[in-house]
Amino acid sequence: MPPPRTREGRGPWDRPRAPSPEAAPEKWNWNCPETRRLFEDAFFGDEDYIRQGSEECQKFWTFFERLQRFQNLKTTRKEEKDARQPKHSHPALADLPRAYDPRYRINLSVLGPDARDSRGPGRRLPPERASEFRQALLHYLDFCQKQAFGRLAKLQRERAALPIAQYGHHILQMLKEHQVVVVAGDTGCGKSTQVPQYLLAAGCSHVACTQPRRIACISLAKRVGFESLSQYGSQVGYQIRFESTRSAATKIVFLTVGLLLRQMQREPSLPQYQVLIVDEVHERHLHNDFLLGVLQRQLPQRPDLKVVLMSATINISLFSSYFGNAPVVQVPGRLFPITVVYQPQEAEPTTSKSEKLDPRPFLRVLEAIDNKYPPEERGDLLVFLSGMAEISAVLEPAQAYASHTQRWVVLPLHSALSVADQDKVFDVAPPGVRKCILSTNIAETSVTIDGIRFVVDSGKVKEMSYDPQAKLQRLQEFWISQASAEQRKGRAGRTGPGVCFRLYAESDYDAFAPYPVPEIRRVALDALVLQMKSMSVGDPRTFPFIEPPPPTSLETAILYLRDQGALDSSEALTPIGSLLAQLPVDVVIGKMLILGSMFHLAEPVLTIAAALSVQTPFTRSAQSNPECAATRRPLESDQGDPFTLLNVFNTWVQVKSERGRNSRKWCRHRGIEEHRLYEMANLRRQFKELLEDHGLLAGAQAPQPGDSYSRLQRRRERQALYELKRRHEEGVGRKRKVLRVQDDQDGWSSDEDRGGSASRGAGDSVDIQDVKFKLRHNLEQLHAAASSAQALTRDQMALLKLVLGRGLYPQLAVPDPFNSSRKDSDQIFHTQTKQGVVLHPTCVFTNSPEVLHAQEQAARGSDGSRDDRDKMSSKHQLVTFVSLLETNKPYLVNCVRIPALQSLLLFSRSLDTNGDCSRLVADGWLELQLADTESAVRLLAASLRLRAHWESALDRQLAHQARRRLEDEEEEEEEAPVNHKEVAALSRELLQFMTSKVSYSLRRLTGLEAQNLYVGPQTITAAPSLPGLFGNSTPSPHPTKGGYAVTDFLTYNCLTSDADLYSDCLRTFWTCPHCGLHMPLTPLERIAHENTCPEAPQGGPPGAEEAAPEPPQKASALQKPYHCEACQKDFLFTPTEILRHRRQHV
Amino acid sequence: MACETERTPLGVFKCQLCALTAPYSYQGRQPPDSQSVVLLEESYVMRDPFTPDKGRFLVVGSRCSMCGRLVCVGPECSLFYSKRFCLPCVQDNVDAFPQEIQQDLEKRKVPFTRPASQRSS
Ligand SMILES: [Zn+2]
Ligand SMILES: [Zn+2]
Repeated sequence: MPPPRTREGRGPWDRPRAPSPEAAPEKWNWNCPETRRLFEDAFFGDEDYIRQGSEECQKFWTFFERLQRFQNLKTTRKEEKDARQPKHSHPALADLPRAYDPRYRINLSVLGPDARDSRGPGRRLPPERASEFRQALLHYLDFCQKQAFGRLAKLQRERAALPIAQYGHHILQMLKEHQVVVVAGDTGCGKSTQVPQYLLAAGCSHVACTQPRRIACISLAKRVGFESLSQYGSQVGYQIRFESTRSAATKIVFLTVGLLLRQMQREPSLPQYQVLIVDEVHERHLHNDFLLGVLQRQLPQRPDLKVVLMSATINISLFSSYFGNAPVVQVPGRLFPITVVYQPQEAEPTTSKSEKLDPRPFLRVLEAIDNKYPPEERGDLLVFLSGMAEISAVLEPAQAYASHTQRWVVLPLHSALSVADQDKVFDVAPPGVRKCILSTNIAETSVTIDGIRFVVDSGKVKEMSYDPQAKLQRLQEFWISQASAEQRKGRAGRTGPGVCFRLYAESDYDAFAPYPVPEIRRVALDALVLQMKSMSVGDPRTFPFIEPPPPTSLETAILYLRDQGALDSSEALTPIGSLLAQLPVDVVIGKMLILGSMFHLAEPVLTIAAALSVQTPFTRSAQSNPECAATRRPLESDQGDPFTLLNVFNTWVQVKSERGRNSRKWCRHRGIEEHRLYEMANLRRQFKELLEDHGLLAGAQAPQPGDSYSRLQRRRERQALYELKRRHEEGVGRKRKVLRVQDDQDGWSSDEDRGGSASRGAGDSVDIQDVKFKLRHNLEQLHAAASSAQALTRDQMALLKLVLGRGLYPQLAVPDPFNSSRKDSDQIFHTQTKQGVVLHPTCVFTNSPEVLHAQEQAARGSDGSRDDRDKMSSKHQLVTFVSLLETNKPYLVNCVRIPALQSLLLFSRSLDTNGDCSRLVADGWLELQLADTESAVRLLAASLRLRAHWESALDRQLAHQARRRLEDEEEEEEEAPVNHKEVAALSRELLQFMTSKVSYSLRRLTGLEAQNLYVGPQTITAAPSLPGLFGNSTPSPHPTKGGYAVTDFLTYNCLTSDADLYSDCLRTFWTCPHCGLHMPLTPLERIAHENTCPEAPQGGPPGAEEAAPEPPQKASALQKPYHCEACQKDFLFTPTEILRHRRQHV
Repeated sequence: MACETERTPLGVFKCQLCALTAPYSYQGRQPPDSQSVVLLEESYVMRDPFTPDKGRFLVVGSRCSMCGRLVCVGPECSLFYSKRFCLPCVQDNVDAFPQEIQQDLEKRKVPFTRPASQRSS
């Protein structure tokens, strides 16, 4: 109630209650800042209950003003009061004050300043005013007490009213008697928040509670901390990938499943816990399923460890029977009745493969609600759609409808939204208006929104499914399961009776699978297998999973890990594999990190690895916004997306380290979701620590600011930041805002969007993310790293690409030869397993596809054909990519362009040649035809040597790392694992190799060609004597391909060729420039001789000369005299020309 | 950073009327860390769980000065009028209290017993 104004309103100086004889001669003004300061000095000192200048102090004055107005109202009645005093027997009643005064109802007292310190500032206050002030303070403190107690009581009432409250005792009892107990209850029964507290109350002190999602760890820790009244204590903590609030006093910790598994990796028996709660087991996440498997095996070794499995009421018997018929405590959900309305969509005329979702059925529901339910009856609508595209298909028409009727606020909800936008679904709609939330299945279990009365269920979900053959992630649309349908329906009945509209027929529902497909049957299992190997749980094929994965997925994963070098041929972890198992990242990204640190490229590689491990920071809206696109352009790198991300991150760090610049704004202008950059920074730091831990990176000490002054300065800054953070946390508990109905077009928004700091508390204008960032990271160090990365030399850049290329290998695609004559938007690519893939729209090459074309080359007959097919060029490129994502098309995501020939020579798992090595086939699908045999052989030889070099350096690095871990910190000051000079030499050689210019053609073999690639096993087994060419290995006949296996990847002379040539025919007379040897030799033999020629100058690797820019088409250098037997003529021919010539005679 | 000097609870306070429970960390009239505030009854006190400020306390309950029951400070269980009285005792001796309090009780009109919001444990 607004207090009515009395008197002149402004001057509460005249307190009418008891006009004192010595009333102030002048006007007393409580509003005068000096007056207030005087009292604050006296009462709100550093030691006092309320401190000067605090938020509390402001609250007090507000209260004070209200109290004064209130007392002005009441005084008149006051005087007539008198007391009767009947005698009472009980002594407690005997001395009750006769005359009522509200202050007798207050159970505390405040000492006046004079009572505490006679010399203090209180001396100068008029006693009358001081006592008035004290009374007000008393009332204020009483008010605060009542308020806080009210919250406490409410909290307990709510807890007691939860369905699970009736079962707490029972659960504890069960847990006494059994090792494993299953608690099954639907969302809203309170199991996730209450069971941990029952355990706490029962005296358990080492409780871990796993959650599938990081967000849940944080929010549950907060909630449970709050409810168990240790919100600001430390009994309840959480631990997630980047943060931990755990301390010695922590009794219960919420952590992710992944983290618990890592703890088990170190100590399988989990000695640090007494009770383990595994929440949301019904979601059947990969890690959760695996955890259950490990637990099942581990429990006999830890009979004292208690396990609580918490599940929705889905398939409970599965979990119970997996743990030897563990008892089940089933808690009924608290659901109000829900009416189900089936509204199957009549078979719509399939409009052009129905690319876009028809929004009409959804609009009809909105209309139906408007017609049937008066707007005063509150209740919001939650619409489940299969994916983001479907959400946007409905969003627009729904918003149009909303702005027409003014009765709806339409909000999207999916995981790619910014956090702030996601939060909007929790805001409230103004009276008479309903929220309509268009959501993916994120709202099925992860996000709980109150106040939903209507649910529309499309019956569809898009899920990543994994094709192990193609190693391809597909986002596909499926019918949901009955369990999901029930879950969705249930969202309508949490706050009152509800209605669920199912946009499918009841018969469809009956045909749904009972449960969703567990993740283990849908996704790639590389990471899981790697983890299983590192935890030594035995052969993944025989591991007793609660439900086993498809055998093909397991086999693919094992094969993949062998391909990637993480497992050896006996499927044991290799050194690199065991390192990879400890890096919580994708295998390819882990490899990048390891390779990068070897070449002293750790800083940029750390950033890139982090960037590739989080969701893209580029917001979708910005794609359609040309302004965003333009401001972003300078950050783009035409080398590839990871480099763009590197630029974005580095520039962002730059912006952050410049005083007074607002990184939030900077990001917004460029259509960048800043939150992702914070995640990158966190991840980057974690990677760095991992590399340091594993001795791959010298733990560079932060360059301490030298003098004590700057240290002090720095400490002060940090203190200020802590203070900011603390104050922010005080004011946390985001208040719900009222949404605005859209006026017209600009969609929905909360007041927050416009008012900015005006509508929020002053303390809230702080960018808390920025504060946390600056507290967590050493900005100076980051900044230094960023600037060094920005100053990457061309060589470093090339090396970086090599590192990425090797890490990502074999994820690469070849541009279609006709791309150069295609429209920019029609560029297509082929991978080994998949033809006709396209660049993801976010990819930097979509704007400049020409950088991927082999722009060449007048030299070879300009026969008018404008395609790259068979085109000779030294600049063919491949696109290596981080992932292949299939939605409506197969997309290459996060691409880098790399030189084709050199990369294939360095990375291919299988490299096959013809007799003179002018024709190479990489991994059985890419054919390279080199113009010149001699340079082909040289390049091949150089690549062999480089690979061996690189491999041994890497092996030693990893072995060193493994040894270091064994010996532990025995010797801190060890020399670098692989010596600096060696790495420098290797880098130099690699760079020279990469820049070598050789003309060649590149094409993808057709299926038929690929089938008939090899000559097959040969009866003649005379090995070619090519000493030195292929190192010291003695080639042996290849059992299946034919030809000779030179190394584990290189097979010489196994390719069939139409002009079935014997290498002998290519012998020509040749004189060694070093020793003067003169005899007919094949090019191969020549190289072999040169490599071993005793007179040859040692040192410079033969491949190096190749690096000298050398125009491959220059005739003279390569032409040799040639005598043709067929036509009896002498020519001056290059080896290729010889081939061509000979072909005429066939 | 912040040192976690959690004052360990002395025990759990439980209201004998409404069964509200709360861990208390101090019992008496002079809560620690707040020299300028004194309590007018022997109280069960916890640190205010709703503020990060460590010096703030919250009085959860005390003994009825007539019957000696432990009661919480909630208005459904007790009132303070220069001393603590549980509501049953107030009801029994209602005319010993000034009219203001009687009127308050009238207005409240809630039966003093709040049956079993917490049944077990
Ligand atoms: Zn009570
Ligand atoms: Zn009593």
